[in-house]
Amino acid sequence: MVNQVSPDRDPSAPAIVSLSDEDLMARVAEDDERAFAELVRRFQGRVINLVSRVLNDRECSDDLAQEVFVRVFVHRRNYRRGSKFSTWLFTIAANLAKNEIRRRVRRRNWFSLDALQELLKDSAIQLADPTESRESVLEREQLQAAVGLAIATVPEKYRLALVLRDIEGLPYEEIALVLNIPGGTVRSRINRARSMLKRKLQPLLRKAGAP
Amino acid sequence: MNCTQARRLFGACWDDETTQVERELLESHFASCARCRSAYDEFSRALELAASLPRVEPAPDLVERMLARVRRLSPAPDRVPGIRLGWVPVSVAAAALVIAGILVAQWVGLKPAPPSGPPQWAKQPVTEPKLVGGPAEKPAVPRAPGPRPGAGSEVAGIPDSLFDHSEDIEFILDPVTLRGGRVERPPLKQPGIQGEQAVITF
Repeated sequence: MVNQVSPDRDPSAPAIVSLSDEDLMARVAEDDERAFAELVRRFQGRVINLVSRVLNDRECSDDLAQEVFVRVFVHRRNYRRGSKFSTWLFTIAANLAKNEIRRRVRRRNWFSLDALQELLKDSAIQLADPTESRESVLEREQLQAAVGLAIATVPEKYRLALVLRDIEGLPYEEIALVLNIPGGTVRSRINRARSMLKRKLQPLLRKAGAP
Repeated sequence: MNCTQARRLFGACWDDETTQVERELLESHFASCARCRSAYDEFSRALELAASLPRVEPAPDLVERMLARVRRLSPAPDRVPGIRLGWVPVSVAAAALVIAGILVAQWVGLKPAPPSGPPQWAKQPVTEPKLVGGPAEKPAVPRAPGPRPGAGSEVAGIPDSLFDHSEDIEFILDPVTLRGGRVERPPLKQPGIQGEQAVITF
């Protein structure tokens, strides 16, 4: 059962927001709902971004992120104290994303270009500059869609390593723990993935006359 | 440094993991090799694009939805007063205590006197339940085995039951056969047994 009113019963206890991720997780293991909410708040963006970039599907990423946090809660007592919380969280997220990719590949419509374009229309495009012209907005959206598509078509095992490294910015050592592979394998996968991405984007980069 | 060696360093260079010497060698190679320079530019531009993809923002109510889901995973608190499952073990323990008390009281009641003499129950001869027909005419019906003849002196002092069977009447249930839905009772009145036959149905 979740303690809905806690953990600040003790006035001398540190505020939830000042606790480390690991301390929060230790509290979650003791059914502290506020600690769990704080962890969700801290990591929801990163988890959604990770699964969204791996799957290239904004709609599904919300559901999958929810599933990631539900698993965190369900397996809260399996979390080993002393290990880094974000590594454990990203391991769960990466495994769920892999399962989802495989499920979609089995359905055989995942890589159809039409479906991808449809999905890309919904991807969260942030209109950062309101003064930007309509043409340049479209151009930027097209570029982002193309990059999203290029990442989505990198084979799964390379894609996960690529997203964890070049989008989420995880260090190689942590990626090795998340994917449960040796550090050397992580490096070679990321190198392969980067080369693939560059090849896929090459026509676009040349057309755009990128420096 | 040749082109293959230079291209192997692209990743390390992007991650800023090259040594000073490697970086200088790479720079000098780029100065003399336009193809590698261009390839590295494309490489870094592709990774810049990937890294600069807009962050996907979570739905504003995600935390609330998460908490609602997690609460559904937990058992709801019992809000019905007086029917708390927490009382069940207490009731069971109380019942067990009462039963144990009764058993102890019975045991204490039959406890032998101090070992100054033979126990009270040992003075009284233990008689087996008697058949009306007398011991000479044993019924064919199997009975519970009594103390073995050889066990005599050792077992004689120990009662085989807490109850006195001296005045018991032994009931013998006749075997009944069902044939075609009709009850057939073979005439099984044992020789030496007096009384009426009775059929007990369940």
